[in-house]
Amino acid sequence: MPLLERHEWYDIARSTNWTPTYVTDAELFPDVMTGALGVPMEKWEVYDEPYKTSYSEYVRIQREKDSGAYSVKAALERSRMFSEADPGWMSILKVHYGAIALGEYAAMSAEARMVRFGRAPGMRNMATFGMMDENRHAQLQLFFPHEHCPKDRQFDWAHKAYHSNEWAAIAARHTFDDLFMARSATDIAIMLTFAFETGFTNMQFLGLAADAAETGDYTFASLISSIQTDESRHAQIGGPALQVLIANGRKEEAQKLVDVAIARAWRLFAILTGPSMDYCTPIEHRKQSFKEFMQEWIVGQFERSLIDLGLDLPWYWEKMIAEFDYQHHAYQLGLWYWRPTLWWNPAAGVTPDCRDWLEEKYPGWNDTFGKCWDVITENLVAGRTELTFPETLPIVCNMSQLPICAIPGNGWNVKDYPLDYQGRTYHFNSEVDRWLFLQDPVRYRDHMTLVDRFLAGQIQPPNLMGALKYMGLAPGEIGDDAHKYAWVEAYRNKPYQKTAA
Amino acid sequence: MALFPLISNFQYDFVLQLLPVDTENTMDEVAAAAAHHSVGRRVAPQPDKIVRVRRQGGAEFFPRDARLHETDIKPMETLEFIFCES
Repeated sequence: MPLLERHEWYDIARSTNWTPTYVTDAELFPDVMTGALGVPMEKWEVYDEPYKTSYSEYVRIQREKDSGAYSVKAALERSRMFSEADPGWMSILKVHYGAIALGEYAAMSAEARMVRFGRAPGMRNMATFGMMDENRHAQLQLFFPHEHCPKDRQFDWAHKAYHSNEWAAIAARHTFDDLFMARSATDIAIMLTFAFETGFTNMQFLGLAADAAETGDYTFASLISSIQTDESRHAQIGGPALQVLIANGRKEEAQKLVDVAIARAWRLFAILTGPSMDYCTPIEHRKQSFKEFMQEWIVGQFERSLIDLGLDLPWYWEKMIAEFDYQHHAYQLGLWYWRPTLWWNPAAGVTPDCRDWLEEKYPGWNDTFGKCWDVITENLVAGRTELTFPETLPIVCNMSQLPICAIPGNGWNVKDYPLDYQGRTYHFNSEVDRWLFLQDPVRYRDHMTLVDRFLAGQIQPPNLMGALKYMGLAPGEIGDDAHKYAWVEAYRNKPYQKTAA
Repeated sequence: MALFPLISNFQYDFVLQLLPVDTENTMDEVAAAAAHHSVGRRVAPQPDKIVRVRRQGGAEFFPRDARLHETDIKPMETLEFIFCES
């Protein structure tokens, strides 16, 4: 029997809105869960998903993708990638798996909320596939690192990170809870799929897959490409939802969701992707700096999609772009200096060649961040390693949960952005982080940062060992310099000489 | 005598840090405690200078011999630690 083409049946098959008779519409679709902002059901029916697929098509394609990724893994299992790859690359893998794998499960729950409470039939349909995508991503990104666990316990953090109180894990949970675990269906469509996935992860996965191939890690390259093709489909859930809200007079509310989500996503990208691109990736494999990457993909491409949808650029756009020059360099210093508190081994990334590269990409780096690295390097050369380890905690931002840090050295410009609210003083990394808090103080006010927990006596004994225990970092997992300080040899009897401009 | 947590924003350093001191400490002692976590770690020593303490964005330094409990500094207030001519 001949089958109809998809376009001949799709529209009628996905017209699944109905008029409830046993309960009211408001009981079936409470606004708090739908986030429809009072836009009635029939207005959502114009939602037209740009990427259409049927269940049978989905299953066939996903099966092919899965078998492709698993075949590459099986074929290369005996390769020497693990023992021969640069330790900086291994660090990128560990950061990625720990920060992302269980976040995918969280995203699966978020997609499920759109499946149940999305007001547009097309949104519910797309999110059904998105939900299955995220489940696949979580399983892939737990299974792939698992083979490395017997050789390196840090890979166990692919599963462990989100179950711990390690500070970067707290930051990731706080952000993802805010963007999609504790949001309505429409909020999720905008904040997770439009802002986070279209704006950041889709581009990030493209870049990461290319980096993996360049480094020779074909298993990871094929894994990430496999995931990215799903992302580029389900990331399109948010665009039509934004169009419906804007067409029905809810631009202001939609704009605020976008502004909050981009600001929060930027922080995580600055600390995870920034150091990975500019410090952990071996210099010979770097195609562009993090700043160039952000300018091309976020400023160049994402800015256009915001405007095309009829949205404005977030009020802080220029401030965020200014941070491309320094924020991730500050985070890198923090990651490396507080390295015992990580589940991966950060690469310092400051050999003389690396410093020349940093100075070329970020003019003034040697006079600012380089000044801190000068002192660290001198200590390592002189054997004063103890001075390169922390004896106190960094102050953590009450919004991002990341250290409050900025430009050191001759451009010193570090500042606290405090806020007194209902008898408690909160500390923020920037005006934007403080603005985020003020958009919904009740939502954020009771969360305790790691420093708040320390001061409340929750971390015992109150020292580094107590903190490591609190974070769940066991021996064999605690981070140290990725290259075992081999890079320091380049400076023995030869202080760094800045290349003439 | 009571533990008094402050926030150190040390000149030329890149990050704010938790600074546990005591209400009996003078500003010079608070500055020395802050220096312990920054100078010689990420900030180059300047042995011919002293470190003075002021509020974030403040113009005036606190007197060097003022004890914490004699000032109106609040717990977890951000203080700036600045190299000055001795």
